[in-house]
Amino acid sequence: MKEIDDLNLPDNVKYSKDHEWAKQEGAIVSIGINDYAQDQLGEIVFVELPEVGDTFEEGDEFGSVESVKAVSEIYLPIGGEIVEINDALEDAPELVNDSCYDKGWLVKVKPEDDSQIGDLMNKAAYLAMLKG
Amino acid sequence: MSVRINQKKRSAVFIDLKTFEYKRALDFQLKVVQSKIDKPLTEDKIFFVEHPCVFTLGKRGGKENLSVSQDFLMSKNIEVIQTERGGNITCHCSGQAVLYPIVDLERSKISVKDFVHGLEEIMLRTAKDFHIDADRDIRNHGLWVGNAKIGSVGISIKKGISFHGLAMNINPDLEPFSWIIPCGIKNISMTSVKKELTAQNIKKDISMNQIKDAYIKHFSKVFNYSIIKKNET
Repeated sequence: MKEIDDLNLPDNVKYSKDHEWAKQEGAIVSIGINDYAQDQLGEIVFVELPEVGDTFEEGDEFGSVESVKAVSEIYLPIGGEIVEINDALEDAPELVNDSCYDKGWLVKVKPEDDSQIGDLMNKAAYLAMLKG
Repeated sequence: MSVRINQKKRSAVFIDLKTFEYKRALDFQLKVVQSKIDKPLTEDKIFFVEHPCVFTLGKRGGKENLSVSQDFLMSKNIEVIQTERGGNITCHCSGQAVLYPIVDLERSKISVKDFVHGLEEIMLRTAKDFHIDADRDIRNHGLWVGNAKIGSVGISIKKGISFHGLAMNINPDLEPFSWIIPCGIKNISMTSVKKELTAQNIKKDISMNQIKDAYIKHFSKVFNYSIIKKNET
């Protein structure tokens, strides 16, 4: 397991208390699980994602990841409509471990409220929560 | 993989549900998980239980690994239940020692992979207590004696809190396992503590109380917990 100081936590994404990340890209927000979460879970063997068009409230369970005989729920850090899912994870769920902020993204969301992403933590606040 | 557990000692209550029907036990677990989500400071709970015979499927299924018909199972009064846990199809039955730790992994700072590894370690040490040389197997998590599986693990995590857990065969009737492809892996067999002791010509009855005590002892050591034993819910 990685030490907290060894975690890859980019500055250009926001973080949720449930260890997801969110990145604004124009009108759309990309969502994934962060380096802490993928490291805690271990080798991911399956990712269950919602359908495009599904809508969720902030904090709703929107899927799950299975690793080492453990199924963990994942929660949407902002509310909105799913506009794209990462189909590549069906055949290559390990991308979440190998590239959690890039090739291992989970879903893209059209936010219901543009202000919600601003309520998420920056890197410093998230690190403080982890160390707390 | 080394298991790195937090240094701060945690406390949990061990509750013996005795023989408890699977669906009721699952509903019960979900209620306890929800109460821990609502009240995060609630103590962790560890349930011990034996289930009347039932087949359970993992989140991703496993029905294709059922080798007998639904009619046959109905004639035996055995249900097949879909669950949210990791892993594939398995069987629970009397004589199997099941442990459901409802643990706030987030607060206890135990990673999911360390928790699964630790649950295997509890079974491994329990087997060792009874002179059974068991081990992990890279093909499949759980506990193995050679090519035979003696213990299984499968958990779910909701808001950082674990449920489901481990199941170790102590002295069950192993026949129902022949009606499935356990864990979805062909050409493996199932074994039990009793079967392994018989193979070593050791005539020793093992009571579930001994297993409960072993589980408590090893859970405490492996996860650094102080455990209080209660007999009722």
